[in-house]
Amino acid sequence: MNILVTGISKGLGLEITRHLLESGNNIFGISRNQTEELSTLLNTHKNLNWLQYDLADSTNVKTKVFNEFIGNTPLHAFINNAAVAYDDLITNLNDEPLLSMYRVNVFTPMHIVKYCIRNMLLHNTKGSIIHISSISAHTGYKGLAMYASTKGALEAFSKNTAREWGEKGIRSNCLVVGFMETDMSSTLTPEQKNRIFQRTSLKKPVDPRSVAETVSFLTSEKSNSITGQNIFIDNGTI
Amino acid sequence: MRDTVHQIINTVLANRGKKLIDSLNDSMRLRDDIGFDSLDLAELTVRIEAQFNVDIFEKGIISTVGEIFERLK
Repeated sequence: MNILVTGISKGLGLEITRHLLESGNNIFGISRNQTEELSTLLNTHKNLNWLQYDLADSTNVKTKVFNEFIGNTPLHAFINNAAVAYDDLITNLNDEPLLSMYRVNVFTPMHIVKYCIRNMLLHNTKGSIIHISSISAHTGYKGLAMYASTKGALEAFSKNTAREWGEKGIRSNCLVVGFMETDMSSTLTPEQKNRIFQRTSLKKPVDPRSVAETVSFLTSEKSNSITGQNIFIDNGTI
Repeated sequence: MRDTVHQIINTVLANRGKKLIDSLNDSMRLRDDIGFDSLDLAELTVRIEAQFNVDIFEKGIISTVGEIFERLK
């Protein structure tokens, strides 16, 4: 399968990419920079194609990502993983960082979905779209209101994508992921992390492997009756 | 160009299990005469763009076959 994945240079995106490559998929990966881990992956996997692209730019999705990078390749899945977090109290909300986060987390992914669906229509592909959402959209956390709102937007967009394009066999689902030990949560203090983990049934961070396995399942035919869902991978957040 | 557009229209109809059209004329309405719904129209614009590099709906929705050729000029 040909799979487009965003945010592949580190954390969850890197784990998902590694997992999908090991299952023999052809990956079209996007990230802002190339980390050491990504370089290693590029050197060891011929079926990994990489594009340096900043998702803050929603205007060049068609030319840079679809015309030049993906070209005529039929896409079977899109994993919308890249995201940035703007953490602050609502009383400190500022327009500039809010808009910039919405561009990366919501607007550009919506444009990518547009061209993914167009690619799938052209090639008659019953493709699978997977958004990485966050438990913060469902269980509030102090300071995450703005970030959580981007994930809520994606969940609504995904549900409607599923309804609009289901007739063509195109599926869309969200993985509602709990807190992981990645860069995204690196600004939290050990006490804050501990408090968050205490709110889960399993009392620990979410294992990225569990998320990668679910992504893999949702891209496969095995999940062909699953669409419009939010699947919680959150260690049983209470 | 006419034959290609005719072929594309029939491909879209066939993909939805709809009745193909034998001939094409400019006054034909995409929805009422050809039988396209909104999903078919989306597929039509994608297939025409792949062939002619023009997004026929970019400047607004069109409703007849003649308007397709207007946009492709």
